[in-house]
Amino acid sequence: MPNTNERMNHIRNFSIIAHIDHGKSTLADRLLEATQTVSKRDMESQLLDNMDLERERGITIKARAVKLDYTAPDGEVYTLNLIDTPGHVDFNYEVSRSLNACEGALLVVDASQGIEAQTLANAYLAIDANLEVVPVINKIDLPAADVDKCRAEIEDVIGLPAEECPAISAKAGINIPDVLEAVVRDIPAPEGDEDAPLKALVFDSYYDSYLGVVVMVRLRDGSLRAGEKMMMMSTGATFDVVEVGTLEPFGLKKCDILRAGDVGYITASIKSVGDTRVGDTVTHQSRPAAEALPGFRPAQSMVYAGIYPADGARYGDLRDALEKLQLNDAALLFEPETSIALGFGFRCGFLGLLHMEIIEERLEREFNLDLITTAPSVIYKIEKRDGETVMIDNPSNYPPSDEITQAYEPIVRASIITPLDYVGNLMDLCQDRRGTFIDMKHLDPTRVELLYDLPLGEIVYDFFDALKSRSRGYASLDYEVKGYEQSKLVKLDFLLNGEKVDALSFIVHEEKAYARARKIAEKLKDNIPRQLFEVPIQAAIGAKVIARETVKAMRKDVLAKCYGGDITRKKKLLEKQKEGKKKMRQLGSIQISPEAFMAVLKLDDEEK
Amino acid sequence: MDAYVARLCDELTSRASEATDHNVDTIYFGGGTPTLLSPAHFARLLDAIRAHYVLDGDVEITVECNPATADEEKLCALRRLGVNRLSIGAQSAIDEELASLGRIHTFEETKKTYRAARAAGFDNISLDVMFGIPHQTVDSFGRTLDEILSLAPEHISAYSLIVEPDTPFFEAGDTLPLPDEDAVCEMSDLLLARLRDAGYERYEISNFARGGKRSHHNLHYWSMDDYLGFGPAAHSLVGAVRTGHSRDLFAYLEGRDITEPEETLDETTARDEYVMLRLRLSDGVSKKDFSARFGQEFDELYAAAAEKFVAAGLLVDTPERIYFTDRGFSVSNTVLSEMLFD
Repeated sequence: MPNTNERMNHIRNFSIIAHIDHGKSTLADRLLEATQTVSKRDMESQLLDNMDLERERGITIKARAVKLDYTAPDGEVYTLNLIDTPGHVDFNYEVSRSLNACEGALLVVDASQGIEAQTLANAYLAIDANLEVVPVINKIDLPAADVDKCRAEIEDVIGLPAEECPAISAKAGINIPDVLEAVVRDIPAPEGDEDAPLKALVFDSYYDSYLGVVVMVRLRDGSLRAGEKMMMMSTGATFDVVEVGTLEPFGLKKCDILRAGDVGYITASIKSVGDTRVGDTVTHQSRPAAEALPGFRPAQSMVYAGIYPADGARYGDLRDALEKLQLNDAALLFEPETSIALGFGFRCGFLGLLHMEIIEERLEREFNLDLITTAPSVIYKIEKRDGETVMIDNPSNYPPSDEITQAYEPIVRASIITPLDYVGNLMDLCQDRRGTFIDMKHLDPTRVELLYDLPLGEIVYDFFDALKSRSRGYASLDYEVKGYEQSKLVKLDFLLNGEKVDALSFIVHEEKAYARARKIAEKLKDNIPRQLFEVPIQAAIGAKVIARETVKAMRKDVLAKCYGGDITRKKKLLEKQKEGKKKMRQLGSIQISPEAFMAVLKLDDEEK
Repeated sequence: MDAYVARLCDELTSRASEATDHNVDTIYFGGGTPTLLSPAHFARLLDAIRAHYVLDGDVEITVECNPATADEEKLCALRRLGVNRLSIGAQSAIDEELASLGRIHTFEETKKTYRAARAAGFDNISLDVMFGIPHQTVDSFGRTLDEILSLAPEHISAYSLIVEPDTPFFEAGDTLPLPDEDAVCEMSDLLLARLRDAGYERYEISNFARGGKRSHHNLHYWSMDDYLGFGPAAHSLVGAVRTGHSRDLFAYLEGRDITEPEETLDETTARDEYVMLRLRLSDGVSKKDFSARFGQEFDELYAAAAEKFVAAGLLVDTPERIYFTDRGFSVSNTVLSEMLFD
């Protein structure tokens, strides 16, 4: 059986991988323009990044795909499916699935900055997925651009031939046709058997309130039509296919059939994206494939935090909002949680810190909620005296120390790429964060890749900010989870006026407890408004107090007169003071505003 | 001035019906510098009042007086007209501080005016002092208190400077040599201690009297009694209706209506305001007076809200009365904002 044919010979499936800011989205826009898939007039800058948040941050959160019709100079007409990939370590798994839907990838490298940690990580992912990687040197119009150095770096560090690779400026629209030619010339056409049982890889899905879940797939073998019964291979769940089609820049375009080699969408009145997990394989119920495509795994939450409405009355709104977000984001987990200090809220699980930030921002922006988020925590593994092993994602569930025989924490292998000047700073940082040095590679005479094993708990605690501030923004970070290692952990509690504030507790390495305790106690002192009485602040491990501070009693009111003409104003003043009070959270016997609470929980400890 | 006094007389005449059910027991000439008026002006105003209102025999008549705007002759004339109380805006004994407040007088002139008032037969004099003002220190405020106490007035009003938005002080911002918060707190402590030692009773948060010479006029404000105010920026309260005048002097002189929208206090607001005002007094709220006035028991309405402040020693709650302690006075805004105006 021929594994390819004339139809497939005119298809190219590819993605663009790049470090944040290296111009991936701009290049995608130019390709849309150059193939006249989108006219310049209709061009909304960076079309592929649909969410406002993505556009603002210049990152892709979810994968997106678009079909381009390209007429080559020789007159041949090609279908180019561009599959966009998220550019952040939190979404590594999504990246790997998107890459698996392609035969090739454009690796965009900024001519002025060279290779960064994420470029490297994603390039390796692409190479691991057996993709043809085509380097594209971007931003050649910048004064600091050094194209030759960049070519050399690509050859030396990644080991890809770069002599012939396109050197472009996506922003200025220079040499864009070179990129399209390279796609057709260097990226292989898809292979597959149209007549074999259906095997389609899910690389993305989103919830549409009219269509239900729109599943984005790449067909490896077989074909699929509306009216057929499809089955998800990981769960066995079946659905009646309502529609299949291709992914056009301005929406979905229905077609009769999707065949091996094609990229397209399926709708089948599916209610939740949880039913169509990224990485799963779609097949026919009547004639299933013998085995699923390799590499599927469910999303794994690495970071947990409590999210509470600043206004307790909006608990219901927060729940509705989380449910809506989850329709589109199977990696978001949440379950109800109650805190004495913060009332009713949710314990939420995220892929990583960026994912968490994005969810927070979307809740605040799209659902207009004010939130209080507790300190992020990783999942600790605890072996107890009674032989039980428990996974702890919430400090309030941490067992008393006398019940614990051994504690474990998650460790990541971190790759940091930095200019040589900051190597000392960053090694200090990693050391300080309990890192184990693994290796140091010189990428070129000025830049170095550092490899460290670091506890994930240290990374979620402001590591990224510290990295940026210690390298003046030049260092980049990528990591992958290695597994669990033994660790000496303690649970740190905070007491105000002698009463424990559950929302402030966290789990920390023994060696770090003292410094962390002092810092938080100081922050509490600085942010708790003065009360009618002096408020003692204590940080404690079990019954042992390891740090203390005091919030001084409130200052005296000024002596103000109050005669006939002053009464209304006086009343307004008291009402205003009362209004401010209403927003306050009760922490034990003291009151604190949501803003102050956030300030305490905010992880901005790195001295700048 | 003649036109202004004529206009005031008109208003006193035309609004007399608002006071039909009341006897007038206090009259207060204040706001600005009433002593710029001549004795003849005062005579005209008092004649208009006597002609249209029923005055108690022992009516308290106060005139606010800025130093150097009244000599002994004028003060004698006022005394003869029946004025029996003077409130002199001394503010500070330090001339540099007076200048920074924009006051045109010196402390020497304050003393002169004070002595003239005594010579004219005034036996009920109040002095105003301010603290927290530019250039002031705890020491200099101590000297001001020395000087004020050596004059032995019957009554002292003491306020700290509050820098309000849209005032020259506010715009001067950080360039103002204002004492810091700690210093202002210290001044406040010093004030209380010195005045108490000198035999003054703190009968209201910022008012002190000896020999029982409280300001009867101001006590009416704090008891939420009815009062009528005349002239620009004056306020009135009759029953549950509060009215105010705008500051527009020219409109007033032209005879235009400068009354601002009135505020009718509902039952709850009236009760809360009453408690807010009465708690300014060291006597606090009399529970009997409260139930007589509102037909509801004070304890039923407020005891629960007051409980934690009583427990904390900020309020004293007896079967008859509830009142602030000194410590309570110093954080009264916080306490009141929690207890009232739900």
